[in-house]
Amino acid sequence: MLARSAQGLYWMSRHLERAEYLARMLGLQGRTLIDRPPGEIHFGWRRLYGSLRRRPPAGDIDPDPDDDYTLADSYTLAGDLTFERSNPDSLRSCFAAGRENARQVRHCISREMWTSLNLAWLRLKDLDIQDIWTPEPESFYGEMIRTLNAIDGVASATMYRGAGWQFLRLGTFIERSQLMAALAATHLRILETDDGSEWTSLLKACQALDSYESVHGIDRRPDRILGLLIADTLHPGSLADSLTSAESCLAAIGAQAGSPDDAAAAIRLAGRLRARIAFDWPDSRDQLSLIDGVGQGSRDLHDLVNSAWFEYPIGTPSA
Amino acid sequence: MNLDAYELDDAIYDEMYGADGAPRGHCRTLHDALAELSGDDLERIQQRVTRSFAEESISFTVYGDEEPQERIIPVDCIPRIITGAQWRQIEAGLTQRLAALNRFIADVYAGARIVADGVIPAEMVRGCPHYRIEMRGVAVPHGTWVAVCGTDIVRTVDGFRVLEDNLRVPSGVSYMLANRGAVRNNLWRLYRRCRVRDIGNYGHLLRDTLLSLAPAGRDDPCLVLLTPGIFNSAFYEHMFLAREIGAYLVEGRDLLVDGGRVYMRTTRGLRQVDVIYRRIDDDFLDPLAFRPDSLLGVPGLMNAVRNGNVTLANAPGTGVADDKGVYAYVPDMIRYYLGEEPLLDNVETLLCRRPEDLEYTLDNLADLVVKRVGESGGYGMLVGPHASARERDDYAAQVRADPAGFIAQPVLALSRAPCLVGDRIEPRHVDLRPFVLHGRETRIVPGAFCRVALVRGSLVVNSSQGGGGKDLWVLED
Repeated sequence: MLARSAQGLYWMSRHLERAEYLARMLGLQGRTLIDRPPGEIHFGWRRLYGSLRRRPPAGDIDPDPDDDYTLADSYTLAGDLTFERSNPDSLRSCFAAGRENARQVRHCISREMWTSLNLAWLRLKDLDIQDIWTPEPESFYGEMIRTLNAIDGVASATMYRGAGWQFLRLGTFIERSQLMAALAATHLRILETDDGSEWTSLLKACQALDSYESVHGIDRRPDRILGLLIADTLHPGSLADSLTSAESCLAAIGAQAGSPDDAAAAIRLAGRLRARIAFDWPDSRDQLSLIDGVGQGSRDLHDLVNSAWFEYPIGTPSA
Repeated sequence: MNLDAYELDDAIYDEMYGADGAPRGHCRTLHDALAELSGDDLERIQQRVTRSFAEESISFTVYGDEEPQERIIPVDCIPRIITGAQWRQIEAGLTQRLAALNRFIADVYAGARIVADGVIPAEMVRGCPHYRIEMRGVAVPHGTWVAVCGTDIVRTVDGFRVLEDNLRVPSGVSYMLANRGAVRNNLWRLYRRCRVRDIGNYGHLLRDTLLSLAPAGRDDPCLVLLTPGIFNSAFYEHMFLAREIGAYLVEGRDLLVDGGRVYMRTTRGLRQVDVIYRRIDDDFLDPLAFRPDSLLGVPGLMNAVRNGNVTLANAPGTGVADDKGVYAYVPDMIRYYLGEEPLLDNVETLLCRRPEDLEYTLDNLADLVVKRVGESGGYGMLVGPHASARERDDYAAQVRADPAGFIAQPVLALSRAPCLVGDRIEPRHVDLRPFVLHGRETRIVPGAFCRVALVRGSLVVNSSQGGGGKDLWVLED
């Protein structure tokens, strides 16, 4: 397929994946506002901004036990990460970028997928933080998660499993692996207390509570939680699952590429990253370094995909 | 709906009602259906039609400093209907016209026999800004310089008239198809009762036409649609057509020329391109041949075209035949090349380059429409009766300064068709743009982008200036 179209599909799914991540994290923050202590709320904001490698609009978040300040801060931060047009990491910006990519490659996606995406955009584009804050912010984020999952489902049900589909899925899994690695690493870095509530919120943020309870029951242990999110291939969205899926996409795409050397390197790297999780994680004494390393590997994988299939140097025409 | 208050004017042809005020025979079903519907019913139908455009994002985009604004071309839900016999007249006239225009373009880039024989002045051809000297001596497959033509046709009390030929990059066909989809779905019982001819095979016909123009010896030709990109206001149409014809949607940066051949960048390396349905103006096609600052084109493309290794549709240089001045000579071209009388008339046109026409134009500015030869889209024109004395004086000065740059035509009483305006049905002026395809043979789907001047009394149907669209129903016999 046309390289630029493949690139458009890849970026479309990356942006939509990021939008879904933001909706999950912000939905969780919305829930904590109802009855959680200020410390947990502040922790959630710091973890979210840290995972995005961004600083909050007014600088670092100072934990303040005062409820009024906490709520005012949360309003500002939710606005920044939900609707702020100048913030490329806001949910609205990510959705807009995903849709704009979809608009450019509309002829490469199914009509049903486009319609789902466009209808969601029409509902989202004119909203602002005031529109969702007073009634109940969580319900908006819940609706966004369901909408994005529905778009994913429509794509899955209607798109031909050709090269376009593989590049679309590849974008999803590379974005997901980078976000999961960043979230887990930030969580470990900023964790100060270990009373369990932050770990529970991590499970909820990753929509992994049900998976965890089905495997480990209701007794929540940090090592098990981290193990599920990083290394359990049966949990959709775990780092291991994302990398395994990315490797499958690359295998389906094959090494015939604009730059065959980079394509082969991308396939090898995906395999190595998946193997690191599978074989190094269980014995790892420095889990943070391992997660950081895999996160960096995932960013390198993106670079190789780009140079192998999208923006390769031009050699001699082959056909 | 109460249609008693619908205004008729003896001097203006009404598409639905005859001069006696009774519905025309072929419009009776539509008339009865409208009479049966309540105002609320019709308003709901209109809302559904408009909403379907928004939901599918059938739009053009306006870019500025802020976030891009996607705008929907207004579409009126009441179809315009013409008979099969009327359509046959249009079809025959357009087929004849395009045959002559293709012969004319081939001629002016070869020996220019028509100039040597004194049918058309040399300066009309060589002085035309759209004349491309780079195309002299180039042979195109099947003599097809214009593969896709969009001709603007108006109707007056005297019948159909050709207002303009669009031979370079005609647009609007996606709206023809989108209008049909939306109006048919929302008036499906009426559509079924009326027995409307189908236009759904346009994409197949366009694909066949374009592939028939592939260079010889290419067994499985690679077809691409070349777009300026997402920032072009017609990008929706480019995307829509690429899907309809199964073409790759490419931008200039996706293509390169190597060894006189054109290649596109795929995920699996470079692939040779055989036919380019280009939606970019000549000026921007190739920075080595035309505008050197063009970032939209492909360096070396014209070299590949001249070598016959790739086909551009439409060919560069076709603008020489849709210049507003050259337009006046199309009836003579038909007689000259085909030995036939035109089946569709032109609008009477004064060429201000002729002293007597200039004098008449300046003396009768208040009664004429005066247009700049090089402009399109309804820009740069003066509608005499609607202009103030000051505007006419200013315009007259421009005409005097460059007479060859202007033509003048009588103000036409464009036909009117019923439109839903608020909660009333009122007449509005309309034209139509059918699309003619020419490859090995000439083919026309029985439909058109019917444009409407939505502002009461306005004659300007261009979407950029307050115009909208309507579905055109051509009935089976």
